[in-house]
Amino acid sequence: MSVSIAKQGYQLGHGHDDHDHEQVIYQETRDMRLLGFVLFLCSDVVLFSSFIFAYIYLRTTVAPIWPPMIDGHQLPRLDTAFAAVNSVVLFGSGVTMHYALENWKHGTRAMYNLFMGLTILLGAMFLGGQAYEYAHAQIGGWSGNTFGASFFTLTGMHGFHVFVGVVFLAVLWWQSSRGVYDHERYFGLTAGTLYWHFVDVIWVALFFLFYLW
Amino acid sequence: MATIAPGVKTGPYHAVLDHIHPEPTSFIRKYIFSIDHKVIGIQYMITGGLFFLIAGMLAEVIRYTLLQPQGQMGISAATYNGVYSMHGSAMVWLVIIPLVTGAFGNFVMPLQIGARDVAFPWLNLLAFWMFPVAGVILFSSFLIGAPDAGWTEYPPISVQGPPGTTLWCIAIFLIGVSSTLTGINFIVTIYKMRAPGMTLTRMPLFVWAQFATAGLSFIATTALAAALLALFCERVFNVPFYDPSRGGSPVLWQHMFWFYSHPAVYIMILPAFGIVSEVLPTFSRKPIFGYKMIAFSTVAIALLGFSVWAHHMFTSGMVPWLQLPFMIITMLIAIPTGVKIFSWVATLWGGSIRWTTPMLFATGFLITFTLGGLTGFFLAAVPADYHEHGTYFVVAHFHYVLYGGSVMGLFAGFYYWWPKMTGRMYNEAMGQWHFWITFVAFNCTFMPMHWLGLMGMPRRVPIYDPAAWYVFWNQFASISSFVLAASMLLFAYNFWSSFRSGKIAGPNPWGARTLEWMISSPAPYYNFKKIPAVLATPYDFGNPLPYLGLEAAEGATEATPTHSSHPVPTY
Ligand code: HEM
Ligand SMILES: [Cu+2]
Repeated sequence: MSVSIAKQGYQLGHGHDDHDHEQVIYQETRDMRLLGFVLFLCSDVVLFSSFIFAYIYLRTTVAPIWPPMIDGHQLPRLDTAFAAVNSVVLFGSGVTMHYALENWKHGTRAMYNLFMGLTILLGAMFLGGQAYEYAHAQIGGWSGNTFGASFFTLTGMHGFHVFVGVVFLAVLWWQSSRGVYDHERYFGLTAGTLYWHFVDVIWVALFFLFYLW
Repeated sequence: MATIAPGVKTGPYHAVLDHIHPEPTSFIRKYIFSIDHKVIGIQYMITGGLFFLIAGMLAEVIRYTLLQPQGQMGISAATYNGVYSMHGSAMVWLVIIPLVTGAFGNFVMPLQIGARDVAFPWLNLLAFWMFPVAGVILFSSFLIGAPDAGWTEYPPISVQGPPGTTLWCIAIFLIGVSSTLTGINFIVTIYKMRAPGMTLTRMPLFVWAQFATAGLSFIATTALAAALLALFCERVFNVPFYDPSRGGSPVLWQHMFWFYSHPAVYIMILPAFGIVSEVLPTFSRKPIFGYKMIAFSTVAIALLGFSVWAHHMFTSGMVPWLQLPFMIITMLIAIPTGVKIFSWVATLWGGSIRWTTPMLFATGFLITFTLGGLTGFFLAAVPADYHEHGTYFVVAHFHYVLYGGSVMGLFAGFYYWWPKMTGRMYNEAMGQWHFWITFVAFNCTFMPMHWLGLMGMPRRVPIYDPAAWYVFWNQFASISSFVLAASMLLFAYNFWSSFRSGKIAGPNPWGARTLEWMISSPAPYYNFKKIPAVLATPYDFGNPLPYLGLEAAEGATEATPTHSSHPVPTY
């Protein structure tokens, strides 16, 4: 048998005998979860892409002019300056999230707590900013016209993701204070960070599509 | 790190594979909220089977209505609309998709890769339970006014449609989430949990099919979710996406819907391809012809499948310059599909064929699916499609590929894996009768729809031209469809009686070589006593089994053919 194994170029075992068995199980389980989580984010990207497609389609092939006309008036553009400030808040939270994870890895707990707290705070501020913007947008509401429909649906979906993210991070923070993670095993924090960056990246696209275009 | 055979050790992740959950003891945890992939697979089968019954009865209502050119008393046009819309929706989302992925993917795939379960058993449980819930929501829309715009629910009709259309959105959304989760679960399982030595090109072809299908599910289904969400918002909150009078566009729905639903037709057919690729070599007792070509063409079909959706929209007023590329790419898919068909036929060539029921269904599949592929080609040709679109020709096409393809493939799979699921054999003679009645009645039901459609009979209308020719072929199709439905009784009775008193099957009644046949039947809770090592593809009949360290069930170590003679390969 061993001859035919060699013939097949067959190689089992990867020389990890020195590794602790339990550590291997942890790593493999983590890698599987990570892959699953990334796949989930990919399918989430398709959800946003589909609505972005809808927006582009309605704007470029259906509407004669953009922003559309309602009752003989053209709707105003959105307030880019305010949204830019709000974007900086969200991107800033991406930076603090990065440092939170790094500090966790290096075991600097106090800094971790600071950055994690900042991230959650900035996330909440972004949501507040968005609420303010919703209250002041003069584009005829969610169900008024296709501009409002695309804008409120897409940013609303994004805002919902941010909201889930804030809750997610709060839970992670609580878990890490309870000793669920240590400095070598912190899959939850990795997933949270990935998710948070994902939400950031989606916002880049939305900011470009709604405020700069 | 366990040594599974002299000098052979498992890789790091097989430590995970080797972990055995304690077997649950309570009835609820064992059969209702089980996390065992085999139980979940069978749960999908039972639930999908029930929905098949309901959706099949709706089909018979359609055929009953069409017995007469003026329709039937008691079936108003509105009722008829609801019936065919629900028939299509249920068949696609509650029957075929859950059966090809949830049922067979769950039951067979982890066994074939030598795993103990899927990667995320709890997610699997969750995904399963969304399915019956979605089914109940979908069918309860009959109580408040069923959706009436067909399974494709084109706006603006669907925007104005009866209240049940909102339930339709919710149900399909839910089943979409379920199918996305299953897709993710299967990808991780297949990617990470194959037995040591099972390289990608040593995977059974059914596993390849599930892999490609899972990729389609988790990418495409969210596009449908978006379309549904928008339709839901438009119906409930009056948000304009599709209503042309408010700046929306019905064609937008068609883009989003078909961006999902064309890949979805491959979600429905690729696993059937996989089943056939298992059944044909087993009963020809010959290595599958062109293993790599079949595997890669599966992936090619899945990838190309993302770029052809607008062939459903040639008459919808899309930009003309896009029609040509969509037509050409659609026709290109015929190449990988043809590669498969030729490989299957070449597998039969010179084999020592045993005409068991699964083999009959697999061969029947080859014939009917090929016919459906051919009519697809006619539909893909833009000028021809202008004539055929919206007629019974389209109905004939997709029933040849879906009934003659997916459902026949499912039947082949049921008969093939039934002994593994229950440990018992079905009645072979009854199975063969089931095949022949199905095959003849199927063709008699759907073949006439080709010429009915070419002569211009529109689909989705309960009345038609009373000329004798139309009446004759419609009645011919209707009566055949009643026979087709009746043949299901044979199927049901066969499995019922086998379940109660069938012959004991033993681990490997077919002399097959994939891993699931190397363990006892029904498969034990933990699947494999030891995770085996895999040295080659499973299809090399005539060679020793390519597995190491398999603590095989009694009698399963040799693939003993129940018929004599080994084939002499002729290639
Ligand atoms: C060679 C392969 C195929 C080609 C070229 C092809 C082409 C087409 C085209 C062009 C249409 C649109 C017809 C129209 O509405 O005017 C169509 C409809 C359809 N095809 Fe195919 N097809 C192929 C295979 C399949 C397969 C494998 C399946 C499913 C398993 C499938 C399922 C459907 C369904 C369900 C529809 C009808 C949708 C509806 O309007 O209700 N097709 N096909
Ligand atoms: Cu298509």
